[in-house]
Amino acid sequence: MSLKVTRRKFLQTASLAAASVPLAKVVSAETGFVRDSFTPSGSFAGTQTVTGGVCEMCFWRCQLVGKVRDKKLVKLEGNPKSIDNGKSICARGNAGIKLLYDPDRLKFPLKNVGERGKPVWKQISWQEALDECGSKLKAVQEKYGSHGIAVFPHGASAKYPMDFFEKVVGTHNVSEASFFQCRGIRDSAYMATFATAPGESVDMPNAKAILLIGCHFGENVHVSHVKAYLKGLENGAKLIVVDPRYSASAAKSHIWVQIKPGTDTAFLLAVMNYLMEKDKYDKKFIAAHCVGFAEFKKGISHASLDWAAKICDVPAKQIQEVAELLAANAPNVSIHPGRHVSWHGNDFQRMRAQACLTAILGAIGVKGGFVKAKGVKVKGISWPMGEEGGEHNLRLLADKHHYAPPGTPTELIRDACISGKPYPIKGCVIWGQNPMQTIPGQQRTIAAMKQMDFVMCVDVMPTDITMYADILLPEACYLERYDYIKTGTQWNFADRHQQYIAPRMPLVDAMFERKDEVWITNEIAKRMGYGDKIPVNSLEEKINRELAGVNLSIEQLKKEDGIHIQDGKDPYGVEEDFEVLLYNEDLEDNGYPAVPTYIATEEVPKGFSRLVYGRSPVHTFNRSQNNVWLHNAMPVNPVWLNDEIARKMGLQEGDEVGLVNSEGVMSSSKTVVKVTPGIRKDTVYLAHGYGSRNPLLTVGVNAGVDDQELISRLVIDPETGCNGMRNNFVKFVKDGKVLDIPA
Amino acid sequence: MDTTSRQITISDIFRFLAQSMRYPDAEWFNDHFCSVLLTLLDELHWQKDREELVSAKACAKNFLEDVQIEHTRLFINAIPHVVAAPYASVHDKGDGTLYGKIAEQTKKFYREKGFALTKENDLPDHLVYELEFLALLAKDDPEGQKIFLTTLFTPWFEVFRSKVLEEAHHPYYRVVVNLIVFFTREEL
Repeated sequence: MSLKVTRRKFLQTASLAAASVPLAKVVSAETGFVRDSFTPSGSFAGTQTVTGGVCEMCFWRCQLVGKVRDKKLVKLEGNPKSIDNGKSICARGNAGIKLLYDPDRLKFPLKNVGERGKPVWKQISWQEALDECGSKLKAVQEKYGSHGIAVFPHGASAKYPMDFFEKVVGTHNVSEASFFQCRGIRDSAYMATFATAPGESVDMPNAKAILLIGCHFGENVHVSHVKAYLKGLENGAKLIVVDPRYSASAAKSHIWVQIKPGTDTAFLLAVMNYLMEKDKYDKKFIAAHCVGFAEFKKGISHASLDWAAKICDVPAKQIQEVAELLAANAPNVSIHPGRHVSWHGNDFQRMRAQACLTAILGAIGVKGGFVKAKGVKVKGISWPMGEEGGEHNLRLLADKHHYAPPGTPTELIRDACISGKPYPIKGCVIWGQNPMQTIPGQQRTIAAMKQMDFVMCVDVMPTDITMYADILLPEACYLERYDYIKTGTQWNFADRHQQYIAPRMPLVDAMFERKDEVWITNEIAKRMGYGDKIPVNSLEEKINRELAGVNLSIEQLKKEDGIHIQDGKDPYGVEEDFEVLLYNEDLEDNGYPAVPTYIATEEVPKGFSRLVYGRSPVHTFNRSQNNVWLHNAMPVNPVWLNDEIARKMGLQEGDEVGLVNSEGVMSSSKTVVKVTPGIRKDTVYLAHGYGSRNPLLTVGVNAGVDDQELISRLVIDPETGCNGMRNNFVKFVKDGKVLDIPA
Repeated sequence: MDTTSRQITISDIFRFLAQSMRYPDAEWFNDHFCSVLLTLLDELHWQKDREELVSAKACAKNFLEDVQIEHTRLFINAIPHVVAAPYASVHDKGDGTLYGKIAEQTKKFYREKGFALTKENDLPDHLVYELEFLALLAKDDPEGQKIFLTTLFTPWFEVFRSKVLEEAHHPYYRVVVNLIVFFTREEL
């Protein structure tokens, strides 16, 4: 730049300038300002409390109020009217503001004019973006059939588009990480035992004993759930924690079973076998509700304490102690079903074992036991069912995974994408999910994405998978839109029985050009020729019509400060026809064990350690990794290493390391070592949801190690088709040198 | 030149600069706009900048798309990361958030001067709004303009400008931010 003319000199010759530089003619007539009444200094608008917020920093969905000052959300708090979370929200809930105002958030529709994986983004209009999405998806549908489109949805906003693609477009190839990489096995296994998905329905506040298999409350924080857990402990419940790691829950336990990873089913079988051998099971409940007790008893009779002790690497006496403690407190025991259970590829059997243990203790429908709340049902409004049959259902074609949760197992979809068999999948819709960090085997995900004819992503943040999008659409976040209607009951069944209904309502308006799921889906539907199937014209209309089913409306909810509360029902008791299949004949017919069975997992190879992972109290998977407040609370995910092993390896607390797995996959980023006696020698642990490789996440990129990157050995749970993700083995890398782990 | 015509010219210039920082689309980012920009550079004797722009335009397959991509990369979302979000609160003292304290202070300043945003939910500290606001002040409130520049505009814009100058691939935004510096710094 050459400053040959000063501004002053330029302006002195302004008349000449004005004549030769017609500036005014090339600017738009309107500015972004209007005349407003004068506001004297000091009279800045006051802060209002806006009700109706429902959190989505995790799936628990606490009810919120927002403190809003002059259209800016300045603080989030629990809704004092809530009978669920009450005034409390967790660190992540508080930090929702930093998601709302994260400068890295997606703001406008973007088109990738580079290549997938190495995108060059260009802002485009919604018109252009939607035209492209509609025409490209339609082209895939016409060329390959509806089943040529795969959908990876996650979160409340993904339900409406998922239903559109599944029901109206007619593809079975929908895979939710919340099922296939998380809780689907639990739900399917309990369905195959109790005929009901268990949720997290245990009456912990009123339990005399609580058994947690791998659950680590305190690190895994869902407000009312943690309240229930702590109330139980406060009321004197004995806590048994089965975990290879001294977790936050283990730190509060009466018995910590430091189990060898992958062997929990053997542990549970031994507990149950012991209870039956010692005649310490609930005969009355079994007689009234259980099917196949004799076969079940015989089927697990091999599971002695010594047998399990050897497999689980825990003292037989401790297994006995656990069994005795459970028996002593039965039936008022909470055998927690868990949540993320896709661990080792033998998980359906473990979940069945948990359900069976619950039943033989008679811990169903009683205080402290497995008790499902009696909440109010609000019927959802969605797309009409189409005519697509099952002939392109990959699971049916493969004739396996007969107990798969809803949707199609991810691996079957990914296999078809990569191999083109039994048919090609060439269009992909990713809505709120980040398959790069939710599905193991990242290179296979990349291969699947790269062979697509078209990939569209809808998200609030530029997560790793968005790097593979052709069109990337910005979605309004949970603080900016109407959405999910949260229902439930008071968290402690000892309190007065109440039910609540709390629809998500916006606390502030959406900024930039962010849109909600109903608007986006409807616009795509119109462009794909399904305009006549659209069930609602707006998200607000959808919520209003759903609320009308329970004689409510948004207007009414606003009058009621965002939460409608009504009298509830006593949740205790068991229906006469409630049936527990201890022995499940259908399972056997489909080629699976009819009684819970321990299936050994692969041993840790010499020089390696098993990689396990879990939750950080300040993060929700990878979704919150770019949140400044949460990042500052826990910037990286230290890798837990046993202190004796660390000493042998010459590693110290805080040393910076990378990890490499047994397949040779090296972590892209580094973390620090946490040296502790609180983990087994053959196991290392990381909190999940770190180490993004998308530089668009300027805070989360390369912060800590991405455990998912190291989970490249794929193990599939045979009954459900869900992934097992704890069968990967790692070594440390320090200063470029690979270090064996001398377990 | 009398005072009135000078003020009008400053106002026009701020409006022009504000326009220059909007997302480029074919409606306004056309040959006419470019010729006006080149004329302005001529008037200022910024020959090197002018030549860079002319050359970039001549070499471009699609000049508009090049600038659109550059705008997206610099100001919206990009690999390796958005270079310079055009919001004061991302750069000024805060923790890199949108709608930080300075954004509220900016909105308050607008109000105190009798203005509000047409889209009241928009972020008030966007560079385009601040330049448009300077154009409004330039008409009849030079003192207010000076205070706005000193207290609210210049501190963050300096940070923003250096990021753009360091990382811009395309000459267009280097030229525009230098023009903004030129016309705002001497205003103080």
